[in-house]
Amino acid sequence: MGLEKILGDGVLATRVSALVNWARQNALWPMPFGTACCAIEMMATLSSRFDMSRFGSEVIRFSPRQADLMIVSGRISIKMMPVLLKIWEQMPEPKWCISMGACASSGGVFDTYTLIQGVDQFIPVDVYIPGCPPRPENLIDGVRKIQEIVSKEKISDTKHGS
Amino acid sequence: MKSSDPVVTRFKERFGDEILSVEEFRGQVAISVKSARVLDILRALRDDAECPFDMLADLTAVDYLRLDHPERFAVVYQLYSLLRNERIRIKAYVGEARCEIESAQALWGDANWLEREVWDLYGIRFLNHPDLRRILMPDNYTGHPLRKDYPLKGRGERSNFPKYTVEEPS
Ligand code: SF4
Repeated sequence: MGLEKILGDGVLATRVSALVNWARQNALWPMPFGTACCAIEMMATLSSRFDMSRFGSEVIRFSPRQADLMIVSGRISIKMMPVLLKIWEQMPEPKWCISMGACASSGGVFDTYTLIQGVDQFIPVDVYIPGCPPRPENLIDGVRKIQEIVSKEKISDTKHGS
Repeated sequence: MKSSDPVVTRFKERFGDEILSVEEFRGQVAISVKSARVLDILRALRDDAECPFDMLADLTAVDYLRLDHPERFAVVYQLYSLLRNERIRIKAYVGEARCEIESAQALWGDANWLEREVWDLYGIRFLNHPDLRRILMPDNYTGHPLRKDYPLKGRGERSNFPKYTVEEPS
């Protein structure tokens, strides 16, 4: 944020980052990248029965420019990968990524010529959710994990810079 | 339909030299032909007076690599007669060296995309096709992945992408 140059790493900076993290972690705006069956589970998670809004991340944004959490839920084929890369690049920092399901994380059972064997080869993934498909509870757990990650960030961190 | 059906008999009389075999299995007739005059054959079936096969229900291909067949590939036409509620299957054999066949696009419009799919996945070229581009695989893809000798895991296409990187703010 550039604040660390002025504030240093002292008490004030810590309090500012605690405030910023608190705001960020309870208002994650997901960008749903649902390409297959896992997306159905993601929709269930968002709707009333499982209700992701209890954790402050129900505002699904179909424009990557307004989102800060990418949920890759489904198979990514070699034709889709450039699209995923472009959308990830369009999301403003700071941003986080959940790789939901076996396919997004490792290719799953589709060990074929056309399927990306894990999106983490090309974009940085923060949380992996196992399962085929993962239950909505698993996705909620994944979002909670993201919130934990967010709460530990310092204002001097540059996300995904390394 | 039986293989003794008058349509099949008429067809045999007219294209006797082209026919490789006529099979009947559970009330379905499949006729294997050579590919050189396939367009005449299909047109004759489509314009048959009694039983016009006026609908191309599907067009696909089979790779018979290392199997005992006249040629390596067969382009399969599934025809349907709306008038008589009958189906017939035409298999046109295509060799590996000259991997091409006439396009059926002029007879049935839906052959257009189906032939693009066959070209994309099997590499069988359709002559006189108006727009023979890939339809499923990305445009820059090389190779035809449904051929039996194409490696299942591909030739590295799936790991051929740039990794997302960020420049550190200086
Ligand atoms: S992990 Fe299972 S449910 Fe999810 S996209 Fe793959 S096949 Fe579908």
